[in-house]
Amino acid sequence: MPELTRRSLLKAALAGSAAVTLSGCGILPEKASGKGAQQYTGAIGLPGGHFAVGAIAPDGTMLWQSPVSTRCHSGCNRPGTAEVLFFERRPGWSFYVFDSKTGERLHHIKASEGEHFVGHGIFSPDGRFLYATASRYDPGEGIVAVYDSRQGYQRVNTFELNGTGPHQITLHPDGQTLVVGLGGILTHPDYDRIKLNLDSMKPALVLVDRLSGATIGSFSPSHHQLSTRHVDVAPDGTIYAAYQYQGPAHELPPLIARYRKGRYEEIDLGESVHRKLGNYIASIVAHPENDLVAIASPIGGTALVFNGRSGKVLEQASIADCAGVEALAGGDFLVSSGRGKLIRIGKGQPAREIASMSVLWDHHLV
Amino acid sequence: MKRLTFSVSLCLASSLVASPLAAAVTSPADDQAADYRKQWHSDIYTGYQNLATQSKTLTNQAETYCQTPSPEGLRQTKQAWLDAFLAWQEVRFVDFGPVELGNRAWQFQFWPDPKNLVARKASYLLKDDAPLTPELISQSGVAVQGFPMVEFILYDQTFNTSDRALPADHTCKLLVAVTNHIADNSENLARDWNDFQSNYSGNAQYTETTIKAAMAGLEILEERRLAAPMGLRGNGKRSVYNADAWRSGTSLIAAEASVRGLKHYFLPAFSRLLNDRKLPELARNIEQQFDEVLANFPELDQPMAPLLVDDNAFRSLQSLYIDITQLTALVNDEAAVELGIVRGFNSSDGD
Repeated sequence: MPELTRRSLLKAALAGSAAVTLSGCGILPEKASGKGAQQYTGAIGLPGGHFAVGAIAPDGTMLWQSPVSTRCHSGCNRPGTAEVLFFERRPGWSFYVFDSKTGERLHHIKASEGEHFVGHGIFSPDGRFLYATASRYDPGEGIVAVYDSRQGYQRVNTFELNGTGPHQITLHPDGQTLVVGLGGILTHPDYDRIKLNLDSMKPALVLVDRLSGATIGSFSPSHHQLSTRHVDVAPDGTIYAAYQYQGPAHELPPLIARYRKGRYEEIDLGESVHRKLGNYIASIVAHPENDLVAIASPIGGTALVFNGRSGKVLEQASIADCAGVEALAGGDFLVSSGRGKLIRIGKGQPAREIASMSVLWDHHLV
Repeated sequence: MKRLTFSVSLCLASSLVASPLAAAVTSPADDQAADYRKQWHSDIYTGYQNLATQSKTLTNQAETYCQTPSPEGLRQTKQAWLDAFLAWQEVRFVDFGPVELGNRAWQFQFWPDPKNLVARKASYLLKDDAPLTPELISQSGVAVQGFPMVEFILYDQTFNTSDRALPADHTCKLLVAVTNHIADNSENLARDWNDFQSNYSGNAQYTETTIKAAMAGLEILEERRLAAPMGLRGNGKRSVYNADAWRSGTSLIAAEASVRGLKHYFLPAFSRLLNDRKLPELARNIEQQFDEVLANFPELDQPMAPLLVDDNAFRSLQSLYIDITQLTALVNDEAAVELGIVRGFNSSDGD
C-alpha cells in the first residue's frame, strides 16, 4: 500500500479520535458561496422506516424536519427565496416545496401522466423556472421537465434528452447551459428498479440550452457501462461527471470525468484509491472557492478530496455509508452519511466529525 | 508495515468507521481470506450445478408431459418444477457475480410482482397462436422468463379452469419454452460461475460482498418473504399475496430451502472465518440458530394461506419468524459489527 494512503488513514484516525472534543469548539463551519440561507437540506431516513426532509445548520444542528410519505433523494434551493425543493427517490411520483426556514410544506407537485422524476432538479438563476430530469417510462425516454414556479409550478415545457435514464442536473455558471448526467440505464416502474438494458446502455454527459431546449453537447464515457449519474460545475466552467460502473466489481474503470476547454477526459485516481470506491460515486461537488473536488462513495465507504486540475488525491477518509457532499465556506467540504454522521474534510484537513445524529442522511445535501 | 495498516483501520472503526475486511486487502490475513473465497466458490458452485441439473430435469419432464399429457405426467411436472425452484431458493442469496449478468436473478424469479405482471404477460402471450420461439421468450422480459411463469401455468386456479389450461397446445409450448429458458440460464450460470473462480478468489472485496449477500438474503427472507405476508409491516393486514410462490403454496418450503442453502453454501466458510477471527462462540451460536430455524420443518412444509387465517395455526408461523429474526440478528447485527461490515442506507440504494 502506498505511503500516502497509509499516512492519510493515520491522519484520519487521529482526527476521528479527536472529534468529540473538536465538535464542541467555537469555530463553526459556514456554507460556501454565502448564497441563500446558512443551512443544508437533505432527505432523511428515520428509524422505523419513516422518511423526512430535514435541514441542518453548518455546525450540524438540526433546524427542522418535515415528514414525507416516501423516501426522497435530492433537490435544489430556489434562488432569491426561502424555498427548497425535494424530489422523491426514483421512480419519483412527486416533488415537494418547503419553506427553508421552517420546513413548512408549500407545494406537493405530482409528475405528469406517464412520467416519473429521478431525484434531481435545478432552478433558473432568477428562481422562476425549475428544470427537473424525468423519464417518460413506457418508451424509456429521458427528458427535462420545465415548471414555472410563478404559476404554481405549472408544467410549461419539455426538453428531449435523446437518451435514457437522466439523473443529476445542474446549471453552468453561464446561467444558460444545463448540465445533465445521462445514466443510460433503462428502468420501468412495473419492474422495480431492475436495470433493463445493461448490454446496450448509452450513458453521456449532456449539455442543454435552457431556453431553446436544444442539446448543444454530448460526451460519452470510455465504456458503455459507466453510468454517468452525477455532475457539478466549478465557477470557471469546468464540468465534472461521476460514474457508477455497471460491470463486474473486480474491474476498476475510471469513475470521474472532466470537461474543460473543449476536452472531455477521464481522471484516474490511482488503483489503490479506486479499490476504495466500489465503482460507485454518489455525489461529486466542485468547491466554488478553489480547485478542489470532493466525492463520496457509500459502497466503498470512502470520501475524498482531489485537485480538480491535477487529479491528485489530497485527502481521504473511511466513512461508512457516506454519500452527501456540500461545500463549506473557507474551502472545505461537508460529507453526510447514512449513519447520521456529518464530517468535515478538506485540503490539509483530515476528516473530522462535526455531528452525529439518529437519522440516516440520504444521497445528497443541497 | 502491512500490520500497521490493518490496526489503523481498526482504530478508525471506533471513530469514523472503516471496514477491516476491506483493509485486509494487504494484510497477512489475505491468504486466509482467499481460502474462504475458494471454499465459497466451490460450495456455491455445487448449488449452481444442482440448479442446472434440476432445471434440465424440469424442461425434459415438461417436454415429455406435453408430448403425451396425463394427470400423472402433470403431477411429475409439478414435482420437477418444485425441485428446480427449491434448487434456486438454495442459491438465491448470491446477488453478485455471474447471476447479475443480464438480470439472471430476476429472470429466475421476478418477485415481488404487485401488478401481477406474470399473469398479464401470460395472457398476452397466450392470446393468439404466434410461435413461442426462444427469441420471443428472451425478448419478453423477466416476468416471463422464470419459475413464477411456470408456476402460473401449473398452478394458477383461474387459469386452470380456462380453456387455455394444460395440456392446451399453445400453453404447453409456453411451458416448454420457459422451462428451456430456465435450463439454459442455469447451465450458463454454473459455467460462468466456474469461470469466475480466479476473479472471485483473487479479489479481497468479494469476501465482504459474499457476507453482505448472505445478510441481504436473510433480511429479504425475514422482512419481505415473512413479515410482509404475516401483516407485520405496512398496513398490518395478513395477505398471502405478499409472499412469493403463493400460487403453488410453496412460500414456506421455499423459505426452508433458502435457509438450507445458506447453511450449506455460505455457513461453512463463514464459520471458519469467525473462528479464525477468535469468535468461536458467535460461530457456534449461528450454527445452532440455523438448526433452530430448520427444526420448524418439515412440519411447516405447507401452504402459508391457511396459516394466515387461523390464529392457532398462525402461531407456528410466528415461531418460524422469531427463529429467523434471531438468526438475522446474529448474522446481520452481531457478526456484522464484529467484522466491521456495513450494509448502508445509501450503499444499498443504487442511485
